[in-house]
Order: sequence, then C-alpha cells, then structure tokens
Amino acid sequence: MTYYEKKPEKKFFEKTLDDYRDSVWGCARCNWCQNQWGWNVKSAEFSEICPAFHEYRIFPYSGMGKMHMARALLEGDFSYEDAPEMVQFLYTCTTCGACEMNCQRIQDKEPLQVNETLRAKFVSDGIGPMPEHKRLIKSVKNYDNPWMQPRAQRDRWARKIGIKDISKEKADTLYFVGCTSSFDNTLWKVAQNTAKIMMHGGADLGILGKNENCCGSPLARIGDRETFVQIAKKNIELLNTCGAKEIVTFCPGCYRALMHDYKEIPGVPPLEAKVYHSAEYIDSMIQEGKIKIPGELKKRVTWHDPCHLGRHCGIYEPPRNILKAIPGIELVEMERIKDQSWCCGGGGGARTAFMEFAQKTAHKRISEAQKTGAQAIVTSCPFCEQNIGDALNKSDDGMEIYDLTDMLIRVLDL
Amino acid sequence: MTDKKKKVIQKKLPREVYNALKNVVGEQWIYEQRSVVETYSKLSIEGGSFIKKHDKDPHVLPACVVLPSSTKETQAIVKICNRYQVPFIPFTNGQVFCNPTNEQPTLIIHFSRMNSIIRIDTQNMCATLEPYVDYGQLQAEAMKRGLWNGGTPLATTICKLASQFAFAGLWQTDLKYGLFSRNIVSVKMVLPDGEILTTGSRSISRAGDFWEYGPGPDLLGLQRSGLGTNGIVTEITVKLHAWVGDETFPDIPAGRPSLFDVHDAKYDNPPAPLKNHKLFWIEFENFETQIKAMREIAHSGIAIGLNAPGVYSAFYCSQTQAMTVERCEKKFFPDWNCYVILAGTTSEKQISYEEKVLRQIIDEVGGTFLSETHKPEVLEALKPWNYDCIRHSTGYRMNRKFYANAWLPVGPLDSAFICQREWQKALDMFGECDITDRGGADDTPFVYALQRGHFCLFETDNYPDPVLPDDIRKAQGYGLYGAFTIPKNDMGPMLMAFTNVEPFTSMTPEAGPNCKILMRKLRKVFDPNSVAAPGRQVFTEDEWQQFPTEIKEALNKMRSLNDMPPVEY
Repeated sequence: MTYYEKKPEKKFFEKTLDDYRDSVWGCARCNWCQNQWGWNVKSAEFSEICPAFHEYRIFPYSGMGKMHMARALLEGDFSYEDAPEMVQFLYTCTTCGACEMNCQRIQDKEPLQVNETLRAKFVSDGIGPMPEHKRLIKSVKNYDNPWMQPRAQRDRWARKIGIKDISKEKADTLYFVGCTSSFDNTLWKVAQNTAKIMMHGGADLGILGKNENCCGSPLARIGDRETFVQIAKKNIELLNTCGAKEIVTFCPGCYRALMHDYKEIPGVPPLEAKVYHSAEYIDSMIQEGKIKIPGELKKRVTWHDPCHLGRHCGIYEPPRNILKAIPGIELVEMERIKDQSWCCGGGGGARTAFMEFAQKTAHKRISEAQKTGAQAIVTSCPFCEQNIGDALNKSDDGMEIYDLTDMLIRVLDL
Repeated sequence: MTDKKKKVIQKKLPREVYNALKNVVGEQWIYEQRSVVETYSKLSIEGGSFIKKHDKDPHVLPACVVLPSSTKETQAIVKICNRYQVPFIPFTNGQVFCNPTNEQPTLIIHFSRMNSIIRIDTQNMCATLEPYVDYGQLQAEAMKRGLWNGGTPLATTICKLASQFAFAGLWQTDLKYGLFSRNIVSVKMVLPDGEILTTGSRSISRAGDFWEYGPGPDLLGLQRSGLGTNGIVTEITVKLHAWVGDETFPDIPAGRPSLFDVHDAKYDNPPAPLKNHKLFWIEFENFETQIKAMREIAHSGIAIGLNAPGVYSAFYCSQTQAMTVERCEKKFFPDWNCYVILAGTTSEKQISYEEKVLRQIIDEVGGTFLSETHKPEVLEALKPWNYDCIRHSTGYRMNRKFYANAWLPVGPLDSAFICQREWQKALDMFGECDITDRGGADDTPFVYALQRGHFCLFETDNYPDPVLPDDIRKAQGYGLYGAFTIPKNDMGPMLMAFTNVEPFTSMTPEAGPNCKILMRKLRKVFDPNSVAAPGRQVFTEDEWQQFPTEIKEALNKMRSLNDMPPVEY
C-alpha cells in the first residue's frame, strides 16, 4: 500500500508495525525529531528537544533512529537476536512526543507512534519491556496500581478532606486521582489541594475511593497493550456507570488515557462523561468568578509544561492563566515551552528503568529554569514533580518545585 | 526477487582497529551494534541507497560508528584509518551523500558531540563553529548580537554549516549574500592522511579571522565543495552580517498545537514578515514574463532574496500529504510566481524605496502582486514563508513521497527555459513518478536567483514511492538522464557543489574535465591510502577501474540517448 491509497482507518491500539511501513520507509532523515522547531530556537544551548539523543548523541535514541530500526526489523534485515541492544533504545524514550510534533509538521509521519508500536511488538514477542517495567505490570495486575501498594490504601490521602465516595453517594463530578498521588504520600498534598480548590469553587465532587483503578497509561506507554485494553474496558464500564457527568483528573498520564487513548481501543464504548484536566477546570472556575483570590503570593516562578498535558493534549494556557491570576506571582517563561517544551525525563517508563538518565534530563530542565531567574518551577504532573523534585533534592540549585495547586491554595486560605 | 527473510549482516572492523579507536574516544563513544549501524545506513534523497535497501545489499551498512569530541580525536581516528586502510565517512545529520557503499568495512565518524559555537566575534563579524552547529543555533545567537549569518538554507535550519561547506550552501537570500560557500572565512580540517590544515588568515599566528584567500594559494577555494573527499571540517569560521530584525522571533498568533491538532493550518501561520523585512508575492501570466521580471529585479540591486518556488509552495505550505496532493491537482498556487524579500538594512526608507522600484518593474514587465484583493486565500496559505524566508524551518517539508534524483543545474536565468523543456522531455520518456510534481514542465521549476542574478539554480524533482523499488528506479532514470542532458545543453553543472559526484564526475567529462583531473590528482596527494569518503566526488584510478563495467555501459547508453559520444573506460 502506498501513501496515497486510502488506508482503512484503524485505531492506534490495533495497529501493527506493518501499518507504519510507508512511514518508516519514508523517513527523510531531516532530523527535526531532535531539534526545536526553527521558529522557536532562542539559543544554541537549548536548541535540541529529544532528551535521549541529547544525552547519548547517537541516532538510535532519536525518533528518526526508531523509524530506521523499525524499517529494518519489519523487512527482516535483522532480528531481535542480532540486536538485543534495541530494547534499551526503545525504552530510554520518555514518550515526550517532541519528535512526533515536529515530524508531523514537516513530514506528516509518526515516530512516537512507531516507537510505541515497536514496544508493543517487543512485549507481545516476549522481548520487552525492561525488567523494571515487568514489576510495574505485575503490580498493576495484582494491585490495580503500578506501585505495589495495597488497594485499601488508595483513599488514605482523602481521609481528612470530607470528599464524597461516589460509590456510596452521588456526585456530578468525579475526581479521578490517579495512582501516583494516591499512594505517594509526598504527593497527597497535591491530591488534597486539588480536591479542596475544586470544592471551594462549588464542584459537587466525588471519588471512586478504593474502587479507583490504574488508568492503564503506564502500560499503554510501555507497550503492554493486552493489559492496557483490559484495564481500559473495566474503567470505561466503571466510569460510565458511576453517575458522574464530568471527570476531572490532575495527572496528565490519566488525562491522556481518558481523553485520547481510550478512544483508540477498537470495539469499546466511549466515555460518557466529559473529561477535564484540573488546570482547565480550575481556570474556568476562576474565569467564571466561582473562585475568588483574596491573597497575594510574591514569587517569581516558571511553568514547566508536562509533556502529556501540553504537547500531547494541548493544555498550555489554563495553568498559565491560573498563575497569572494570583496576585504577586511573576511568571517568567523558559526558552523551550508549550509544544517545544523540554521533557523532565520522567515519562514513558524512562524513570522506572533509567533513573540516571531521567535525573540528568531533569537537571537540564532545572538549568534552563534557572536562566529565567525564577525562584521556583511550577508544574502539574506527579511524574514531573517527582523527577524534577528528586533532582533538586540532590543539588544545591536553590530552586524549588511546586504543584500548581500549591501556589493557589496559599492565596485561597483553605 | 529479493528474499524477504534474508538478513543483512554488517561487516566488522578487525579487533585491533576497533580497540585502537576505542582507545581514542573511550568505550562509550564507539558503537558497532547492528541496530546502531542501521541508523547510519539509509538516506533521504538518494534513490540508489533505497534500491540497495530493497536488494538487501550489506554494503550500505557501516561497520562501526565513532564519535570524537575534538579535532585532536578526529585526527587520531583518521590516522588509525590510514594505518589500517579503513575507509571512513564523516557524518552529521546524514541527509545527503553519506551512505557507505563499500565492500570494505567502513567507519562512520559522527560529529554530534562537537556541537559548540566556539566564539562569535562581533567586532570582526564572524563566528567559529564546531561541525555539528546548525543554522538555527547560529542565527539565534547572532540575532541577540544584532548579527546574522546572512542566509537560511534551501533545506532547513538544522543543516550543519560545516556540512554545507561540502556543497555550496544554497540560501533563501543568495541574491544579496551569495552562496554559503562565499561566506566562509576559514576552516580547520583534518586531511585524509591525518594532517591538519588551517586556511586563510587564521593560519597566521594571532592574525585572526578576517581573510579567506591564502596565504599563498587559496586553499579554502580548493577545499570548498569537496563533498568530504578532501578531509573533515572540524572548525569553520563564517562571516556574519548586520541583522535588523528583533532578537527573537515573535510567537504564532494562534498559539501552539498539540499532537492531536498539529495539522491545523492556523498553527502554521506566523505573523507578518519580520521587523524591517517585507515579503512580496507576484503572479505572472507566463514563464517568459516571470523570468524577465526576475532578471530586472535581480539586476536592479534591490532585495535580499528573489526566488520562484512554483509548485513547491504546495509542499512547503501544506499541513498534510493529502492537502499537498489536493493543492497540486487543483493548481491552488499560481503556476508562475516568485517572492521577493526586502530588508531595511541601511535606513528606514530603504524598504519603501525598494518597494517603489519593485512595483515599477512589475508595472513595466507585467505581473500582479498577491494581496487582500488578488488571491488573498493564496497569500494566507503562503504565510509559513513569513518566517521561512528568513529562518527556514518548514523548508524541506516532506509532505510528499520521498524525494530523489533531482535535477539541480545552475545557469543564467534563460536556462530556466531549457530546464523546463528538458524536464518535459524526461516526463514524456519515463512517465511521471507522482502526480504532485510537474517539476516545471508546465509551471515554474524552483528558481533561485543567485548573487544579483549573475546565475540561478533550477530545481526539478522526483517523488517516487520509497516502498516501491521500480518507482525509485524510474526516478533514477530521471536523474541519469538529467546528468547528461544538462551538460549537453551547455547548462551549468548539476548540484550545488559545482562539480559532480561519482560516477558522473567521470562519466560526464563535459561538466568539467579540468576539475576531474585536478581532483583526482589532489586526492592522490591528500589521500594516499584512499580512505576518505570513498567514491564520493572523484574516484581514484583504482576505484574507477573497479567501478562495475555494466554501470559504465548503462551510463554510456544514456549518453547516446543524448547524442553524446561514449566515455572510454
């Protein structure tokens, strides 16, 4: 089949490598997958965009390299046994999507989708993922979360904030908290702040409590499609029967899964409730006057766009609007922002399997943030917060990291 | 028929060579894993390498990839290659002629670690760069200092300047600033035998970078456009010029796309042309009027850029492949058109004066400016050029099948008609590869007016389907036919390098017998072991003798199709 012959529409999670044959043969080696879009380059230092290529400097780590490896594998030029190192190249990718953003603009091709499809092939053929990911998959299967935490602990973060359990009490808005901030007690505050702010704005909010499951995003990203589809089906049924009209989540991984990935599974019903990220939900509340901001917070901050929130889902302005709405906050931008943002290094399973690389990538983001003169990095993603936070803890950078709601809660006096 | 299951197995370097290289760069920076070498083995715009991939030819695979961090390490690597007679190919992005096709195990020297701007000299208006520095990086740093490098490449801002030294470097603004090759002050090169060559005034201790010729013979001139045959550039000093725009580019008014709406045209529309710049699009009734107008504009002394993209606007300015096809089929962009870039570099009144001159020329010659009243939808669709004519980023947009075997002759402006006529003949002979490109047969070939219109470059291309080898072979037919048609018609040589690449260097003596003779002799001196970029710009006598007779015969057949006598071999 050639480019211009009409392809049967397939959903992403049913595509195989063969569906990308035209794409992988047609890679023009333009190298935009490794670089900031030309209009965006503001300095030589921050002109690259692919964290893995930036660190390792060889093509297999780039989007282009994945296209070429996929082509060779697809055509039988080599097999897994000839190239065991490929697993590492595939899984060092943070799935930040920068390669795909630029490739789509210049060549209409999909290097990230190719990489995720390669990962899926590796998993189904028993070659992937990395051993660290296997533990994560096992945990999701056994505990409904990737962090090997007992289900009974999932709602501990919510004990003191008086939020409804939607399985017991009806609520219009479901707060889908996500596994990381449900189980990582250093992130409980974020989960709590988000809930408190939305309730303060008048949301009729409920949670699934112990019944909430992993959204499946980590599995989709590392290529375990079979388990992901099982989880997604279970979640769609649960979410469609819980009675909520809208779903809000603050985890960009969950948001992408609910917003886009579930739609890419063949033969499943759509989610009936409308899905929001908490930043856009809270921003609307502020715009509509449901949340008034009485206090002031003097701080010079910079916004780090989480890849799965910004580049993947297009939520760029709402978090910036919230920061700008807080009196005293001075928002200064880094060079690489929005669709050209630099990844924190924590996504796509890279932090799980390649901690050192993930931390180096975070340090590069911190260094970029420091150039703005900001006192703090603000973001809205548990993975970004963990990864950048860990890097900050190990350095003397003197910079802090906050969740967006950390900033807002301080001026709301809740 | 190729066995689909057949594996393609790379050759390996002898262990002693591998170990010697490892000792230079360290274990972390040398790779010979199968999947790594794969990513250094296929090209974007050379049909031959795709055919070899389809044929499962193992010679396209390098044996090893090594990443030096300095001139010293590069020199050590080259010396090892000489000691063990290992061919090497320098590599940056790897987009053009970088494909190893040797029977001997070949080394790729990848320069991705050498990516620093060494210095920007604002006083003397020049910048010294390592080989992996690209136009985007240099422009960003130069703009902050009120300077720029004078041109954006025909391709994209991520082209490495040191690599463009290997060609000639075609720019959007060649009308004023000339080719990139005329904007180089000096280079530091590791010659094929491992010696280090420094050219220009920089070779004199503490003299600095200001003069490219000499001392003694113009060594830079000898090395320029050498396609890697004469050595590896490890430092390049380029001229800078006055920049009158802002320090950074303005944001796109529509905001930024996400992966799910990236194809929305609104995200491809930058704001109006940059501060102190103006961009004009002009439509003509026919090709003759267009060329006449371009000559008048070029010779008048106004403008920094003057180019005619023809159907290429459909590739550059369309957000998807489907949109490209639709626009080509419906002739959305005018058949005969050009764009003119004005810059107010000397005074505030410069642009208004130049605009007056431009409008007078168009009044006299004939032509219509695209405007709010004349084809505003076309003007709107052309907006990506508002940035791209200054900072080329969508350039080389591949919203088309892959691109192979182009005709890129140079010549005086009137040569455009020959190029157009001959391309039509080629279309009649071979049939079209793709409906999206008439390549100037009935519209404008891509015309770049160079150096005040003293000469121009005309581009026509093929877009075969990379998945279909027969389609690629057809495109190769175009390329071969063009290689002979162009010298037969006394046009300038193909490619921007102003000499050819093998086997055309040897098989088209009409395009420069002196060059071929000189280059072969130079190669004998500089590359006594014949290890640098083998088979690239000029064969050694041995390589020429070993070049397959059947290909020489085929090329002679193509010569005879053009009524040219056979080349003896």
